[in-house]
Parts: sequence; C-alpha cells; structure tokens
Amino acid sequence: MKKFVLGAVSALVFATTAAVAADYPSKEIQGIIQWGAGGSTDTVMRSVTPHAEEALGGTIVMQNMTGGVGAIALNNVAGQPADGYTLLMGAENPLLYKVMGLGDKDYSDFIPVTLLARGTPILVANKDAPFDDYDGMMAYIKENPGELRVGATGPGGLPSVITAMMNTVEGELDVISVPYDGDGPALTALQGGAIDVMPAVLGAAIEGIRAGNMKPLAIFDVAKNEKLPDVPLVTSFNDGYNTYLPWGPFFGVFVVKGTPDDVVAKLSKAYAEGAKNEEFVELMDNRGFKMMGISGAEAEDFLAKWQQGTTWLLQDAGLTKASPEEFGIKRPSE
Amino acid sequence: MDFLTVFTQPQLLLLVGLGTFAGIYVGAIPGLSVTMAVSILISFTFSWDVYPAISLMIGIYMGGVYGGSRTAILLNIPGAPSAIATALDGYPMARRGEAGTAIGVTTVMSFIGGFVGIAVLALAAPLVSDFALTFQPRDYMLLAVLGILLVGSLSQGSLVKGIFAGALGIAIGAVGRDPLTFTERFTFDISLMQGGISFIAVMIGMFGVSEALIQLHHVDKAAVRQKITRIVPSLATVRKHLPLSLQTSTIGVAIGALPGTGGDIAALMAYDHAKRVTKNPERPFGDGAMEGLVAPETANNAAVGGAFIPMMTLGIPGDAVTAIMIGALFIHGLNPGPMLMIDKPDMFWFIVGALVTANFFILIFGLTGIRLFTKLVEMPRSVLIPLIMLLSIVGAYAVNNSITDVYWMLGFGLFGYFMRHYGYPLGPVILGVILSRLLDDNWRRAIISEREDFWRFMEGVLTSPLSLVLFVSVVLIFVSQTPVWTWGKALLSGRPHKVSGNEQHD
Amino acid sequence: MQHIDPEHHDGTSDATPGGDETCRRPGELAFAALMLLASLGLLWSAYGISGFEALSSPGTVPMATTLVMVVAALIVVVKTALQPKTTTETLAKDILPGIVIIFAAMLVAYGFLLKPLGFIPTSALFLTASIKILAKRSWAWTLLVSLGSLVVIWLIFRIVFTVLMPVGIVPEAEVIQFFRNLLNGAGT
Repeated sequence: MKKFVLGAVSALVFATTAAVAADYPSKEIQGIIQWGAGGSTDTVMRSVTPHAEEALGGTIVMQNMTGGVGAIALNNVAGQPADGYTLLMGAENPLLYKVMGLGDKDYSDFIPVTLLARGTPILVANKDAPFDDYDGMMAYIKENPGELRVGATGPGGLPSVITAMMNTVEGELDVISVPYDGDGPALTALQGGAIDVMPAVLGAAIEGIRAGNMKPLAIFDVAKNEKLPDVPLVTSFNDGYNTYLPWGPFFGVFVVKGTPDDVVAKLSKAYAEGAKNEEFVELMDNRGFKMMGISGAEAEDFLAKWQQGTTWLLQDAGLTKASPEEFGIKRPSE
Repeated sequence: MDFLTVFTQPQLLLLVGLGTFAGIYVGAIPGLSVTMAVSILISFTFSWDVYPAISLMIGIYMGGVYGGSRTAILLNIPGAPSAIATALDGYPMARRGEAGTAIGVTTVMSFIGGFVGIAVLALAAPLVSDFALTFQPRDYMLLAVLGILLVGSLSQGSLVKGIFAGALGIAIGAVGRDPLTFTERFTFDISLMQGGISFIAVMIGMFGVSEALIQLHHVDKAAVRQKITRIVPSLATVRKHLPLSLQTSTIGVAIGALPGTGGDIAALMAYDHAKRVTKNPERPFGDGAMEGLVAPETANNAAVGGAFIPMMTLGIPGDAVTAIMIGALFIHGLNPGPMLMIDKPDMFWFIVGALVTANFFILIFGLTGIRLFTKLVEMPRSVLIPLIMLLSIVGAYAVNNSITDVYWMLGFGLFGYFMRHYGYPLGPVILGVILSRLLDDNWRRAIISEREDFWRFMEGVLTSPLSLVLFVSVVLIFVSQTPVWTWGKALLSGRPHKVSGNEQHD
Repeated sequence: MQHIDPEHHDGTSDATPGGDETCRRPGELAFAALMLLASLGLLWSAYGISGFEALSSPGTVPMATTLVMVVAALIVVVKTALQPKTTTETLAKDILPGIVIIFAAMLVAYGFLLKPLGFIPTSALFLTASIKILAKRSWAWTLLVSLGSLVVIWLIFRIVFTVLMPVGIVPEAEVIQFFRNLLNGAGT
C-alpha cells in the first residue's frame, strides 16, 4: 500500500513537471487516426505502430476519430499540449483543407515525425466498358459527350485531383462525375456497373485487376510499376502529364509544432525503425505502396511541394473555394 | 478438410468460445460496439497467427450481434443498433416477468438465423455476391424508401407523429458536412456540428437516458419478479415459428450481403415483415408478441453470414466489422479480394467453420447464465437508473472519443423523454437516422448518373427488373400499410383518429 | 388484450410511445407548437443549403424531409388543439416531477464538468449524489456501491477497451504507467 501511495505521488509530480525528454515516453502516448477503422490509413497505422512501439519502448494507444474529412481529428490534436504524447496519424488531404474551405489548420501547424509511404494512382474501368486503354476512353468521351460516368470521392479526394489533371492536360472532358464516400464503395460500384471509370489508388484496385473484375487503363506515374508491369503509363499517351507526376496520396505521423526536438527525434527514429520491419515492408509492397520513410527537413520540403502542386492544380481547374495565394502558397514554378 | 480446422484444434475452439462470450457482453453494453472491439483486437492479435486472430474476431462478432438483444429485452435499451426492433416486443415480455422466455426464444432464433446465414455463405456465396453487385444507386435508394415505409409499422400511437419522427430522423442524419460535396448542412455555422451527429449517440440518448428518466417516475415501485422456469423454448414453439424465421433469415442474408446495409436495417425490415404476415399473433405486436422477437433476431444474425459473402468473394466489406476484418487479413499477409477464394480456399472454409462454432457457442452461452442477467432487472431502480445514465455517457463518448457526442446524447435523452410523454414514437427517429445517408446519397448518385433528368431516372427504374420489383414493392406497401383514404377522411371530419397499426390493439 | 400498464401514459409499457390518444396531456400543445416552430426553422435552414439548384443538390433531401416535418407538425398541432384537456394529470406531477428536474439538471452539470474535472471525479460525484438521492441509504453503503461500480466501468472502458475519457485533474496516464512499470518490474 505504501508503495502504491508513493507511486501515485511520484506520478503526480511527473504530471506537474514538464515532460522531460530524457524520460520520454514516461506515460502512454495517444495516436489519433484521422480515418475510420478498416480504412487504408487505419490499416497502415495499426500495422506499423506496434513495431515502432518496440523501438520506442513505450505504449501507443490508437483510436479512430472520424468526421469532417479528417478535420475533426486534426483540430483535436492541434489543441493538445506540444509534449509528444499525442500523435496525429493521417493522410495527405489536410494539405488541401485551407483552399477547400474545410478548416484553417493543416500540416503547417505540425511537425512530420515520419512520412511512411505514398500510393500510385491508377485509372480503372468496368470490365465491360467499350474501350481497353486510355486512348480508347478519350475517343469514347469525344464520341459520347456527357455519357461516361466517372467515380469521385468528394472535392480534394484523389479522383478529383486526377480528374483535374486530366482536364488540364487533355482539355475540359465532358463526363458525369458520380460522388461516393470513399474509393472502396466507388470501386464496388464500378464492378457493379454503376460507374464506368474510376481513378483510384493502386493498392485498392490491384486485387480486382488481378481477378479480371476491372480493367486497368493507365498508371499515373513516371516509372512502370513492378506489381502491374503490363499496364501502360499515362505519360506514354500524353506527355503533358510529366508536369504533374509523380503525384500520389501518402501517409504520415505528425506531432504539434512546438514539440521538443529531442522528442521528435526519438519518435522519428522509432518509426523509421518500425517501418523497416520485414512484415510491414511486405504488406506495403503487396498494397502497391512505395516506402518513403522520410522525416525532418526532407519531409517538410516534400509537404510544401506537394501542397503547392496540388492546390494550384485544383485552383486552375476551378475546384477550390479560396485561392492558394491567400494562404501564402506559391505557384510551383515560382 | 479446412472446415474442420476449428473443431480439431482445442486452442482455436477456446478462442472462438472466449470471443463469443466476450462478444455477448460487448454487444449488451450500449456504446461498446463490435466494430470497436474488433479494431482493438487488430493491434492486440498483431503478432499472432492468422487463424487464432480471426477465430477471436469471429467469436466477438457473432456474440456481439446476439448480445445486443439482452439489454433490449431487459432494460428497453438496445445494446446495438441491430437490436432496436428486439426491444419492441422483448421489453414488454420482461415487464410481464417473462424475460427468461424472451431470452430463450431469442437465443434459439439467433442460432437458427445465424445458421441460415452461414449456410448461404457456404453454399451460394459467389451467386449472392454477383446479385449484390447488380444493385445500382437507384436500387439502394428504393431500398431506403422501402425502409422508410416501416414508419407505418413502428408508429403504434399516431401515424402523423410517426411520420414527423421519421422525417426528423432523416434530418438528423443529414447534419454536418455532406460527405459528397462537403457542403455544410444544418450546422448553423457551429464548427462542432461539422462532423454531424453520431447515430449511436442519438440511439443511446433516446433509448438509454430517456428510459432512465422515465423510470424515475417509478423509483419506489418494486421490480417485476422474473420467472425463469422455462428458458429453453419447447419444440412446438420453435416449429410454430420456423416458417417465419426462415423468411426473416432470408431477408437478413440478403440485406447483410449488400455492401452499405447491415443487421440494423435487416432487423427492422424483418420486424415489419413479421407484422404483415402474422395474421393472429398470440399477443398484439408491441405488447410482447413472440413473432416480434423471432423476426429481428433471426434477421440480424443471418446478416452476419451475409456480410461475409462480398468480403470473401470480392474483398468488399458487407458492413463495418467485415471492413476491419479485411484490414486484419492484410496485416496478416493475405490479400482479400476476388482471388482469395481461388488462391486460399482454406481461409474461406476456415471462416465458415469458425462461424459455425461461434453459432453453437451462442446457443451454449445464451441458454446458460440467464439467471445472472435477469438479476439485472431485479436490481433496485435507485442504483440501476444512475448506472444506466453513466453507462450511456461513457458509451456515447466511446463511439468516437468525442465530448460533443456526449452533449448530443444528453440532449436527445431529454428530448426523447418528452417525445415519449406526448406519444411520439422513438423507433422512426432511429430508422430515419439509419436510412438518411442511404436515401440521400443514392438518390443523388442516381439522379447525377442520369444527368439530372428525372424521366431518364424513371425509365431506368421501370426497365431494370430489379428496380421494377423494388418499385412495385414500394407502391404496394405504401398502399397497403398507410390507409391513405380512411386517414384522410378521419382528418377531414376532425374526429379523434384511429389509425392503422392501432386497430389490432383494440 | 389490455396494455400492461394502463394507468401511465409515459411510454414505459412498451417500446412504442406513451401519450394519451383521447385527450391532451399537460404541456402537449406547447410541445407540438415548439416542434412546428423548430420544423419551420429547419426548413428555412434546409432551403439555405443550396436552394432549388438541382435535383441532386445537397439540399434536396433535407428540404423534402423538413417539409414533411412541417406538414406533420402542423397536423399534430391542430389535432392536439382540438382534443379535450386531460382532467386527471398535472405538469408537476405527471410530466415533470421534481425528481426528473433534479436529474436532468445533474446530467447537464455532468456535461459541463466532464472536461475540466475529468471523468473519474465527475462520475464519482454523479453516482454518489444520485444513488444517495434515490436510495436514501447510509453514506457508507452509497459510497461503496457508487465507487465500486465506477471502478468496474473504468476498468472495462479505460483498460480493456482503451477508451481515453477526459482525464481532467487526474494524472491517469502516469498512474497507469506506474502500474505498468510495476508489472514489468515484477516480470523481469
């Protein structure tokens, strides 16, 4: 009993003094996942974190906080003390919140602990679609204006960026954009014939392609993909895409700005270690993700460049609520 | 054969049993959801082999769907959305001191429903998933409309109040940023409202807190003594309800197999079906009719097998829990998708085997330990009421780790208290919230796909066989269930109304 | 067949609503009028979402449903107004007795205190006060029952299901870490 009281008292003392980096982590860490259970961000975070925990020597309790396309989770973590005990586990889309009018905070209020991996976009079609490749689709759109149904996942989602890219490179395409609340439901609809074409992340479509349930049209990347070596690159149809590629969604772990450097360093090291785990690497490879494993200044640069490119692309396609300029986001060429 | 793997390895058998047992309690506590439990298990079973991990998850899933009925029957508080319909007739039975009988019937019927679901999964999975894929946005929309018509059978007092409640539910479901265009709806420029109102928070508030507040009127009354003499229903009872249970199980599998609809909608639709086909219930529906228990409990357990169908054949989740299981399979190095059945048929048969095992465990755990559960209702109300309130608060918070949800839950609890007092049914509110997005999203998808042309949309409905069947059902049920004519007449004459659904009471 | 609990109209007898179909209960008309006003407000708000822009606009379904609400609420108001007033019930006795008001106030207070004070202290206060009020038994019994059940709930939600309730003034994470260290220490 005496020991317990002593422990409780020392615990109280710990709470009142500032987090000492040398002892970090002295208590369990909360990991807030921006998306719901079972989504790809959730799967990736839940499979890398146990390895990172091992390297860190602490406990990370993960919980999902959904709503407002991830903005609820982001704002929640931003409101926590900058002591490294609350992590934000998210994807790329917060970088678009400002221009999309979804919130006034983004990753510039955070420090990237690690950017784990990025995905490759691919354009897939229903297996009975009357065309077999990218050129065929373009011809079909010209002959049947306003008939092709393209899946979407709301403004700022991967399909909206890819569609904006296509509109910019090929000129305005007359298609119907049918919104779904995620690429999972949209790909289901694609297989059922409710939509004809869907820009998706490769990992979500790969099993359907392998089974012949959907047709791959083109990969949106500058280098051939090992997983699907026979699928042509979109740049082989129109080299105008080279300006915008490579582009892709990514996953990362973040802490609030102001977190002590050595705490960030400890976390970064732990996640870098965890991401090297063989099982995790294999999992990511199977899903068609490219490992990044970057942190620090390199990660900040990547985020800034990604934000510049994507926001201006959306701005030029007329999809934004506010110009990137208002938030000091410069055009990529400047 | 892989189907027998579970039975031959004591360790797996134990894990399924443990999962089922835990699942019953997870399901019974409002706010603790199977979805939550399974996603925690992902981290927990991370380093395990895939078979033990899946065994535990399947146990929790099956047990949890069944467990939701417990608190619905005993306390009038559904432990999970899929048990809402169970409360409608289960709770009146408990109030008559027949909680034991109610739980017994529920258990056996859950077993039967679960079994039908598994049988369809094992024998006809590819067929059913092909069928499920043919559902177009307009079909989902028609399905939602069909669901909305259940308001008729859920409003036993006044139909108008029921319609009001149902429409309110749909509006509640629309609050927050619209998921398709991110437009703010009913947020009144309050940032806390952007995330919308958690459906579970509404349910816990309306059923849990408002029930607790109502119970305050009766604090001093002694609790109803429960007779627990006859728990296992007689063979004659089971045989009598077998035809109905097979019909409602079919509803359950079909709704469960559709991606985007699950056990909650299935159970409500089954309840409505039972009400329509049962000509002479021993007791009126809403006062403790056995059929009112049989239908939802067979349907929601059959929906489990149904949800695995698109998951196993196509890698498409049938509901939230199978979505997490797909994640779990990934983490364990498998690639769920259309190829899984071909590359790894053993996994399919293993899951079928585990489901069968879990189903038997439901029978075992369900029929034992009832005495302990019924003690819950015999607890003094002075302790039970505060505990229900606290559990409601924790449960609402746990859903999304959000204090806002707690506020909503409390708000809807107080609101529900007044609704009950003034004869507004609560069921339709929940029904509306469940169906809101199904209706709204799919209506918009359907009309966008037809380039905003309503006639082109109707042409699609009338030329597709599936849509046509759904459309005709909507029309028929609308005419048969809502006596539009008599109702209109009564309204004009201004007399106190006697509306449908009420007739059988008098 | 008789309803189970004919003397009450509060919806406890079955999961279907209470109310009284033959006469108007105290406050019922005011509630119906409030519903009508709220429905009108929501209809206005739904119109503001996107107006009559397109059939597929985000405001279409909200506008249709709130319109249904307005019509239904209007019918309810008219019907309720035409019903005779009940002679046996009063607002203070049958709708809002003192005990319900006290509990409603306690729930609201709980909501306000949860964040600043934290889950454990707020819940302890709530359980103790409410059980004391309802059971009218000794303090020792009340504290035993309320704190005992709080510990069980906390263990289930916090430890087993890792639901991180607001900690407020209690250094929860540190205490848990202390026990974790203790366990690990004992293990090695």
